[in-house]
Amino acid sequence: MANRRSSGVAAAALACALAMTVMMPGGFAAAADDGKYPTNWKGEWTRVVHREVEVQGAFDQTKPWGLGQDAPLTPEYRKVLADSMADQANGGLGNYPTSRCLPSGMPRIMTFGTQEYVITPQTTYILLSGSDHLRRIFTDGRDWPKNPQPTYGGYSIGRWIDQDGDGRYDTLESETRYFKGPRAFDASGLPLAFDNQSVFKERFFVDKTNPDVFHVLTTVIDSALTRPWTSDRQYMRVAEKVVQWPETWCQEGNHNIVIGKENYLLRSDGLLMPTKRNQKPPDLRYFKQPQP
Amino acid sequence: MWDRQSIHAIAFALAAALAMKVGGAAAADGAKYPDWKGQWVPVNTAGAAVRGLDPTKPAGPGQQAPLTPEYQKILQDSMAVQANGGLGNDPTAQCYAAGMPRMMSYEAQEYVVTPEVTYILLGGDDNLRRIQTDGRDWPAKIEPTYQGYPIGHWIDTHGDGVYDVLEAETRGPFKGPRAYDPTGLPLHLDNQSAFKERFFIDKADGNLLHDVITVLDHALTQPWTVDKTFRRNAEPQPDWPEYYCHVTNHNIVLGKENYLLNEDGVLTPTRKDQPPPDLRYFKPAPK
Repeated sequence: MANRRSSGVAAAALACALAMTVMMPGGFAAAADDGKYPTNWKGEWTRVVHREVEVQGAFDQTKPWGLGQDAPLTPEYRKVLADSMADQANGGLGNYPTSRCLPSGMPRIMTFGTQEYVITPQTTYILLSGSDHLRRIFTDGRDWPKNPQPTYGGYSIGRWIDQDGDGRYDTLESETRYFKGPRAFDASGLPLAFDNQSVFKERFFVDKTNPDVFHVLTTVIDSALTRPWTSDRQYMRVAEKVVQWPETWCQEGNHNIVIGKENYLLRSDGLLMPTKRNQKPPDLRYFKQPQP
Repeated sequence: MWDRQSIHAIAFALAAALAMKVGGAAAADGAKYPDWKGQWVPVNTAGAAVRGLDPTKPAGPGQQAPLTPEYQKILQDSMAVQANGGLGNDPTAQCYAAGMPRMMSYEAQEYVVTPEVTYILLGGDDNLRRIQTDGRDWPAKIEPTYQGYPIGHWIDTHGDGVYDVLEAETRGPFKGPRAYDPTGLPLHLDNQSAFKERFFIDKADGNLLHDVITVLDHALTQPWTVDKTFRRNAEPQPDWPEYYCHVTNHNIVLGKENYLLNEDGVLTPTRKDQPPPDLRYFKPAPK
């Protein structure tokens, strides 16, 4: 039978235990559900390149860009692509805004250099190494905004799923809307519709058999297409701990100049050059002096 | 003498306390970091439309930067060129990177704090900084970038178990040229700048963030320290603006001259009697 002293000590021990938990330091809530989020998305990811079919990023990585993508384009937008490629073959830039250092937007921003995923309970950030800015996928349960500002990257809302039922989320599903344009799928100028009403549905997850392969299963719903178009875009983990992340600036390596409806090249001495045979020079109507 | 039941009770209580502390330490590892969530908007007490490094003073000469005589002249020349329609020493006028420290003047910052890295997400074309807080040493070789290479460490100045100050040092070599503001207030062309920063929440105002920046640069006669402040946007779901220089920039630089593209895409001069661009590589139109 417990004596009074033993009971007192036991009670004191319990009181101490309770006090220790109350006195835990504060700071931001490392939410109890932090342990639910994947821990194997860390590091630097870069898109898988199938060199036998393409070098420049394409929506479907397993096929050549441009016509080789077999994109389910409407007849109208097949013509936009054909015209773009014809213009490029003739020295023009076609329907490819990135060649002028304009943002690529979705979905092309997901083809650039390196990516990093930073997961918080409220937002998953996709940090990109191209000239396009980062993406935020909001996972805080919000509704779609009423009057969103359209952007090239779109507005993304997502939710986490525990696909294998082990108590830890492993798949992020997201939907992205509200775009600016123009945007193209790849450097051929394979077009998205000029109405900018694209919707993207994505599923992000690590490969079940190879933890260094990451999938972004992407479905595009767009008026330039006869039906939704899905691609399983894959990325390889380059490194978990990165010494130095690359910094990319389109302006640094870009020599394209667009004046009016014509594109020219800027030589290293700063002089304009034509890009097509017999190309007209820029209109100088506002200059008083004759050209040198 | 304690009986077995009481001993077990004590052991259980102590084990429970220890488990909570260990579990709390794992949770406290996350709980050690401050709440810097939300959108932070630069406070510009100078009231000027153009922001300088020191937000309490006008841009350009008003910043009273401790420039060397050589770099005072670069600033003066830049402003004179700009007054005459030119772009001066402002690389962002041609959509080049702002780099450090000017990227810290952009709108709409966000801080994402993890134990290994504090990410600063910015509202301009310079859109991201990573301050490494994983205890790494400086790399043997740093590739030049406009933003530099930052390493930081957290400090608990109150001793309450919660970090409240992030100290960071950003080194180069940098790329350039870089200017502090649109007047072209210059950093040294040798790109050997270094920056020391202290980030912390104001003691009296939990929605005011400070970034005290000290610039060490050969264009300066002494280290230059400013206190940049940012106010937390009360909106729980703020808009995150997307800014791309090329979308709105109409400056064209051909040779040593800068021109403007008008709305019709036609070249226009930027100053009186400006010569047109040299078109020697274009065949003359047939007569």
